[in-house]
Amino acid sequence: MSLSSLVPLIGVSDVVIGLSLGSRLFLIAVGLSLIFGVLGVLNFAHGGFYMLGAYVTLAVVTNVVDNFWVAAVVGALAVGVVGAAIEFSAIRPLYERVDADLDQLIVTFGFVLIIHETVRFIWGSGSYSVEPPAVFDYSVALGGSSFGAYRLVVIGLAVAVLVTLWLFITRTYFGSLVRGTSSDREMASMLGVDVPRLYTIVFFLGSMLAGLGGALSSPLQSTSPALGDQVIIDAFIVVVIGGLGSISGAFVGAMLIGMMQSLGPQFISAGSIAIPFLAMVIVLLFRPEGLFGGIGE
Amino acid sequence: MSATTDTGDRIREFGAAVTDGWTRERFGLLGALGLVLLAFGPSFQVYLFTDFLVVALFALGFNLLYGYTGLLSFGHGLFYAGGAYGIAIVLRDLGPVFADVVGSGISPLVTFVVGGVVGLALVVVVAVPVGWLSVRLEEIYFALITLAFGMLGYSLIIQDPAGLTNGTDGIIVLLGSVDVGGSSFRISARRTYYALTVVVVLAATYGVWRVVNSPFGTVCKAIRESPDRASALGIDVRHHRWMTFILSAAVVGIAGVLRAGLASVASPGLTHWSTSAIAVIATVIGGATYFSGPIVGAFVFLYIRWGISRFPTLEAYWELFFGALLIAVVLYFKQGTVGGLLLLRDRLLGDDDASADGDRRSGGGEASGSTDDTRPDGGDTS
Repeated sequence: MSLSSLVPLIGVSDVVIGLSLGSRLFLIAVGLSLIFGVLGVLNFAHGGFYMLGAYVTLAVVTNVVDNFWVAAVVGALAVGVVGAAIEFSAIRPLYERVDADLDQLIVTFGFVLIIHETVRFIWGSGSYSVEPPAVFDYSVALGGSSFGAYRLVVIGLAVAVLVTLWLFITRTYFGSLVRGTSSDREMASMLGVDVPRLYTIVFFLGSMLAGLGGALSSPLQSTSPALGDQVIIDAFIVVVIGGLGSISGAFVGAMLIGMMQSLGPQFISAGSIAIPFLAMVIVLLFRPEGLFGGIGE
Repeated sequence: MSATTDTGDRIREFGAAVTDGWTRERFGLLGALGLVLLAFGPSFQVYLFTDFLVVALFALGFNLLYGYTGLLSFGHGLFYAGGAYGIAIVLRDLGPVFADVVGSGISPLVTFVVGGVVGLALVVVVAVPVGWLSVRLEEIYFALITLAFGMLGYSLIIQDPAGLTNGTDGIIVLLGSVDVGGSSFRISARRTYYALTVVVVLAATYGVWRVVNSPFGTVCKAIRESPDRASALGIDVRHHRWMTFILSAAVVGIAGVLRAGLASVASPGLTHWSTSAIAVIATVIGGATYFSGPIVGAFVFLYIRWGISRFPTLEAYWELFFGALLIAVVLYFKQGTVGGLLLLRDRLLGDDDASADGDRRSGGGEASGSTDDTRPDGGDTS
């Protein structure tokens, strides 16, 4: 197959859809990467947090105020509070253990089960959809096919989250404490940083980002109790490819996987869903620090 | 001549040990009796216990790696499915061929045995390279790479590029009937399959027990306690972990073969990480540092789930309970159920008896606790 016959297959709308899928993946994964980078905790419940954000947004939109943005903020904050409570009660006692990493993974897996069942208990097993804000509820036609305008909004929001987080970590005083603690916890502690408090705050932030991701992505997906289990695997793929703990890496990794999901099926039919996992294995073996940047960037 | 006297002596020794208080032999005899009695129990209980035995072997294989070398795999579903698909494919594609060769009377049995061996071989063939690559990593990274391998297998089974696995539907497993000398029995009949499972699981468990208590097993425990120190003593840590990985996968593969027969289907869900997680849950709840931990954990897992299912309002939310239990065990009581049972026994019997028992289990250390293996079995039937 010559190159010229391939090029027309890639439409502008495919690229936009790929970027919006990538943006959604970034919103799922960025909090996971932040928490791992600072606390060294791989939070298995992160997908559950994301799902919880979508559900709370849904509940607020349907029951309290019919404003998507307010609901999204409420969803993000609620999940942040849940995350902080979990960190404080169940993860904090484990930092000093010899096999802390695995114990934390198992404990957060316990919360996967709890969140899944709680969501099912409150909202049932059915799937819901959330309408995008009315202003963006129209289709954009480009190059022969079309996509929802809200996809462009999600791309913009993902970039905004990336920039805000980057500024927060590199330009603020608290950000410097986070970076310092991330690179040497004992040293930071000796210099007077209240490490346990900082950990809880970072866990709050990371969980809030998961909730925000779930809230903002809710118009692009159907929200059901299976959502958490689906997205946590995507999040693992993204943070491994981008580098565990790297925020910019999470962005690049998310965009790569998003474009792969959008454009891949046009080139490979058999085994296409296996490719991200193959990529994950290869990155873990040959560049366990991720393709882009090291820890803490 | 001397052989018969040996056997006679052994039987007499065994008899003496059984009558000599609550010894390991007495527990063993009661456990065996319980297993036999259970075969005559209600049909559903036979099924549930068979299910427990299969999950116990799955968790036991998983814990060979986690409990004995400290590597937490989230991808052992790959090997569980490997065994299941191995036997399913043999039954589907080669069943008629065997019928032609050995006659239709015993061909289902022959096919089952060959299928089991093929399933096991398939698992080993997959585990050798997957293990070799995975043991290069440790801790979280090991958990992630095994998760990735498991999901890679899941994707391939679902998309089925080679046309072998029948996609999302999986492969139906029909074990068939054996006709010998006029009498006929179905292999998949609950009580027949139960007997088969008991024999296979006991044999496999004994095999694992021997490995764990061999010099190889001692090295594994040394690696779990401190990989660095083991390495400093001249142990090739990576090589040992690789060998343990293969062995662990093989045990899980046997459980997978049994699972396929029990469920009558080899389904892609077996490879999914949520299936791998069942081994994690059972092992942690039971107590990963004990040989019997995963077995007792599987027992707790299946029977509590069954107990919850008796209450219609709670039935749908049994995962909630195990999530909470998992968190509580990791946070407050890492020794798990077996640790709890041992503690309870020491409390009830007093310290003297406990230390004497400790002596008898000479050197087994915390990873043994063999007397407790038979306890839930015996307890269940009474």
